[in-house]
Amino acid sequence: MLNRRTMLRHMAAGAGAAFSLPLLPNQLMASPTSNSTPKRIIFFLQNQGFDPLTCIPDGMTTSGSLAKANLPEPISALEPYKERLHIINGLHGVHTSPSHSAFFGALGGYRGGDGVPPSASTIDYELSKVLPETLLPHLCIGMDSIENMTTKPTLATLSASGAGQPIFMYSNPNHLYQMLYGGISSGDIRRQHEARSNVLNQVEQFAFNKGRALPAADKQRYGQYVQGFKDVNGLRDRLDTVADHLRKFAPKVDERYTKPQFETDWHDVLLDLGISALTSGITNTLTIASGRGEIFGAWKGLGIQQQGHNLGHMDQPDNPIWVKIRQYNSRMLVKIMETLESVPEGSGTMMDHTLIVYTSNNADKQHTSGANWPVMLLGNFDGAFKTGCFTQLQGKRPINSLYTSLLRASGVDCDRFNMSEQLAKKFDDGNGPLKEVLA
Amino acid sequence: MTSQVPLVVAIVLSGSLLAEAGGEVYTPGQKLNKDFDGFARPFLVQHCVDCHGDTDPEGNLSLHDLGPVDEVNSGTWKSVWAQVTLKEMPPKDMDQPEVVQRLQFSDWIVGELKRVMHDKGGFHAHLDPNKGNFVDHELLFGKLPEGIQLVPTSSPARIWRVTPQEHITRLNELINREKEFDPEKPGLRTHGDVVPTNHGGELKLYFGTDRIIKWQGGTVAYATAVKSVPAVLSSHRDHGLENYPDFYTVNSAEATQIMGIANDIIRYMAEGPLSIAEPYQISDDIRSVMDRWDGDIRGLPTSLVYSTQVMRPLTPVYDLMKEEEVTDERLRAAVDYLFEALTFRPPQQWESDQYLGIVKQSIDKLGKEDGAVLGLSSIFLDRDALFRPELAQKGEPDQYGRVVLQDWELGLAVNHALRYIKPDETLRKAIVEGRMRTREDVKREVERMLADDSIRKPRILRFFRDYFDYDLGGYICKDGKALADTGVSNRGQAHYRAMFDGTASTDRLVELILAEDKDVLKRLLTTDQVVATERDNIYFGTRRTREEVRASMAAAKKAEEERKAKEAAELEAWKKANPGKKPPKPKKKPRVDINHKVTPVDLTGPPIYARVSRRSFGRGSMQPERVLAKAPEGQRLGILTHPSWLVSHSDAMDNHAIRRGRWIRERLLGGGIPDVPITVDAMLPDEPEHTLRERMRVTRETYCWSCHKKMDPLGLPFEMYNHSGIYRELELEKPVDTTGKIIDSGDPSLDGKVANALEMIEKLAESERVEQVFVRHAFRFWIGRNETLNDAPVLQDAYRAYKENGGSMNAMLLSLLTSDAFLYRTRTEQALAESNAAKN
Repeated sequence: MLNRRTMLRHMAAGAGAAFSLPLLPNQLMASPTSNSTPKRIIFFLQNQGFDPLTCIPDGMTTSGSLAKANLPEPISALEPYKERLHIINGLHGVHTSPSHSAFFGALGGYRGGDGVPPSASTIDYELSKVLPETLLPHLCIGMDSIENMTTKPTLATLSASGAGQPIFMYSNPNHLYQMLYGGISSGDIRRQHEARSNVLNQVEQFAFNKGRALPAADKQRYGQYVQGFKDVNGLRDRLDTVADHLRKFAPKVDERYTKPQFETDWHDVLLDLGISALTSGITNTLTIASGRGEIFGAWKGLGIQQQGHNLGHMDQPDNPIWVKIRQYNSRMLVKIMETLESVPEGSGTMMDHTLIVYTSNNADKQHTSGANWPVMLLGNFDGAFKTGCFTQLQGKRPINSLYTSLLRASGVDCDRFNMSEQLAKKFDDGNGPLKEVLA
Repeated sequence: MTSQVPLVVAIVLSGSLLAEAGGEVYTPGQKLNKDFDGFARPFLVQHCVDCHGDTDPEGNLSLHDLGPVDEVNSGTWKSVWAQVTLKEMPPKDMDQPEVVQRLQFSDWIVGELKRVMHDKGGFHAHLDPNKGNFVDHELLFGKLPEGIQLVPTSSPARIWRVTPQEHITRLNELINREKEFDPEKPGLRTHGDVVPTNHGGELKLYFGTDRIIKWQGGTVAYATAVKSVPAVLSSHRDHGLENYPDFYTVNSAEATQIMGIANDIIRYMAEGPLSIAEPYQISDDIRSVMDRWDGDIRGLPTSLVYSTQVMRPLTPVYDLMKEEEVTDERLRAAVDYLFEALTFRPPQQWESDQYLGIVKQSIDKLGKEDGAVLGLSSIFLDRDALFRPELAQKGEPDQYGRVVLQDWELGLAVNHALRYIKPDETLRKAIVEGRMRTREDVKREVERMLADDSIRKPRILRFFRDYFDYDLGGYICKDGKALADTGVSNRGQAHYRAMFDGTASTDRLVELILAEDKDVLKRLLTTDQVVATERDNIYFGTRRTREEVRASMAAAKKAEEERKAKEAAELEAWKKANPGKKPPKPKKKPRVDINHKVTPVDLTGPPIYARVSRRSFGRGSMQPERVLAKAPEGQRLGILTHPSWLVSHSDAMDNHAIRRGRWIRERLLGGGIPDVPITVDAMLPDEPEHTLRERMRVTRETYCWSCHKKMDPLGLPFEMYNHSGIYRELELEKPVDTTGKIIDSGDPSLDGKVANALEMIEKLAESERVEQVFVRHAFRFWIGRNETLNDAPVLQDAYRAYKENGGSMNAMLLSLLTSDAFLYRTRTEQALAESNAAKN
């Protein structure tokens, strides 16, 4: 039945942020003296598809080094980082039903669809479990139109901790800031933080009191309920106790939080918060959903007036709108890398132990069979992945094989992720990780 | 379970000893004073070690050196427990232990496993509903051999976590007003029915969809724009009974989410669509709102227009929030209202004070609006909003240590047996006035509720879903090509939507049979009725042979050629009649959507309705319209032959004969199947040129066959349907083999070969044993635990009630809900002491 470990994993599941075992403050950070190398992974999913022509250098049709290639305009911001880049073309996801988004199936490697609940956990959640433990093993943020982010500040479309167990993403930066940095905040955020703390402390006490007279058999099960509040409150307390440390990483709250001019203001500050959760050591897994896994989304701050579904009906290559969106993504990727690079860790920097997986929840385009699912990797995850190259695959291996590679690189001994042997016979002509990407 | 009642055991034991002076009396649940050396080892030596010795042991399992139960050998002991309890071992041709000896050995192993595994995650296998059949059917319904003495039964004091569907339905009451029951259209979803899953099978709470009168874009845009939240409580089980009290808890992520949802709900209760939309969007003048639409805003919340008509319930929460001034009276009214809406009982004074305190503190910190919302949201996390207690803290134990549930606990237990929403006024009044304390009280209320159709009873339907497992078809992910080969559409989500529609149709069929309440199980198994949508003409159709497909395609081609020729001739004639004039544009080619692979049936009959989700997906919402038709004779018989059940028991590529056989073995014959040994890599060979039956040859290997012989021959008769549930006479272009065999059923008149699923079902539907097994499952569902031998009188009474009333579900239900197992709770001594200490 449920044990403490499972319970913690469940907790990790639902909140878009998970609460882990109590850690001493010095374990919070990626300490140079630590024996286990901290590692972290970031998934960045842009909706509406990732057309390979917007990332593969002109003329490159076979696998090879990127050293002499020029990156296409949409991702040209990555040019200075191309020795860290690995462009993969030719994975497939036909079994995920990705037309109009595979939803949970994009990171799960199984059939997804609008309104279809997750049928198993997703790769980001699985990795968050096996990477060196942090206070919040997993954080999901979602970027959308300002109206959607305001009306539906949490949404669950991409990540899951198991069948029927969606993980929510944060889209209102004020809420996320309060959760991460309520303890060091001031003004309104501080007041809300304190009021919420007061309520949750009392809820914990009520829950505890109502558990005192339970039969022995139920005590353990109910105890987990009470323990859940202890963990929520404990996390807050622990974040408070490391407030001085967090202060160094917490972004400054400005008007973009409270009076955003465009939705991209919130996208930017959500990214800042996500990065700070990594650099401060609060989390090891960050999932960023630009377009929140659906087929809409808006980027008016980039000067793009069209929004939503029509964006998906446009061809992406040489399309000024899509060039702008992809460039914006690329700048975000650069920001992540630059920030992580600025934080020393071990004998190098945080970026040395990090991997960014950039792709789309829609494979290559909005109306797609999923026969091609382009992916970019950035970073080498402590030397585990090849970099500086382009790999052309033959469309015979599923995205699940990439996820298997990520698990292998994280120390999990597995040959397949979310794919039975029966399905593999149809959808995977290989077994185990992608040899082409592992160093 | 009953080992938690040492006091009871002592009383019974002393009585038994007196009664049986000298002979050993076995009382189920009694703690055994036996040890390994004096009891278990001699049993193993006498019955097991001959074959499972140290040289060349059967099944490669040596038991000669199996020591007392410990953490390391617990897996072996668990297997021994299953084999001996299910009477698989010793083999039939060997000396058998006495009945009591076998029961004691089984109890001893469970006791030891519980003891040894106590701090290692515990041992719970015997409590799992899948092991319910481990209790010998003959001992439950036959005459007990001498030496067994039962004690009056009861269930343990406990708390039940609500299910995700109960939770969503409970929350839905706060923000949506559902239509009242209409006797003219009894199938339409109304107040008191559950919030069903949506078109994609997802369970969600929707905000304000009853007020949306216009939106921009299609169905996907609508689904994205509307406000909804998914269920947050987890539920891991897909087959069988989904909710025993000890299955689930609520984890911190769920609690955090519930608080977030509470915030949204309270704001919606206060402001309605204003909490999720701009003021200008709320207007009956649709045009005025559309004028403000700036280009393509599909999928955005601003693409919706809400009517001005207030649809949601206006509650004390609304009263509190609409006034600027905060008064204690309004605050308390809001607290008390929410508490009862969420826990189904009024708060006690201290509970009311407690939450009032939180709300006030929050208002002090954040001001009225934010503070009230935050403070009130804490009530959503009260223990009793998420768990239903049956603690029996009031009342004196009888001589067996049992306490009758009473007042709110009994009232809510009865309510929960049938309903997902709070008690109706009559039941509430009975509870408040102290008229929910006795068996007669329960009888009165249950009879009243069962007789009133307007009191919706979704829990009864839930039982049939859990029992039959016909509601999983939409969740079985199909391989696109394999699906197309069956003959149904594999375009987009068409098949999955057909399956969710099929679940709702089967629900309705179950309800129609329940409404008549005669021979309920038999009719479910053998009815020729079908509740159908238009798509079911294909799903209930017949797969064509290759020649028939060719002929159909040729006929279509010919028809098209004829159409073209006619069109050309008409054009020629026109030109002749109108020389020099420009001919009119040719008519648009009519869209012909012929399914060449399936001969459809013509399912027609009176129109009826099925309970589907309310408008959750714009124009793509599920439609309630159905017809009540007759299934093709000789091809279908009862719901086990309907696509909803068949696809629920299939996999991505093919039928799942093993799962179907297991269903028949466990749910109809009452047999038990031991867990698959972990050394077994259960895979059928991938040989597309061979039939499933041929590929299942691997299960006939000796090691596998001892279990598979109980399942496979019961599942293979369903090979008369392909894995979309379409009837077929050929498989791989050869006549399909639909034969099977019932063996070791426990009823010799059932055993023997069957030609196909229909013959097998006809046989089973006549069986008394099958009806008894059905009653056992109903017991588990409504009592919330596996039966023990001590429950034999309850089961026999329930079965008698069913039988003597002509196969009446209501009679059986009344019997179960007025039984000792339902009414009595037994508390452990330790918990009692702590409870008393807490009270003091």
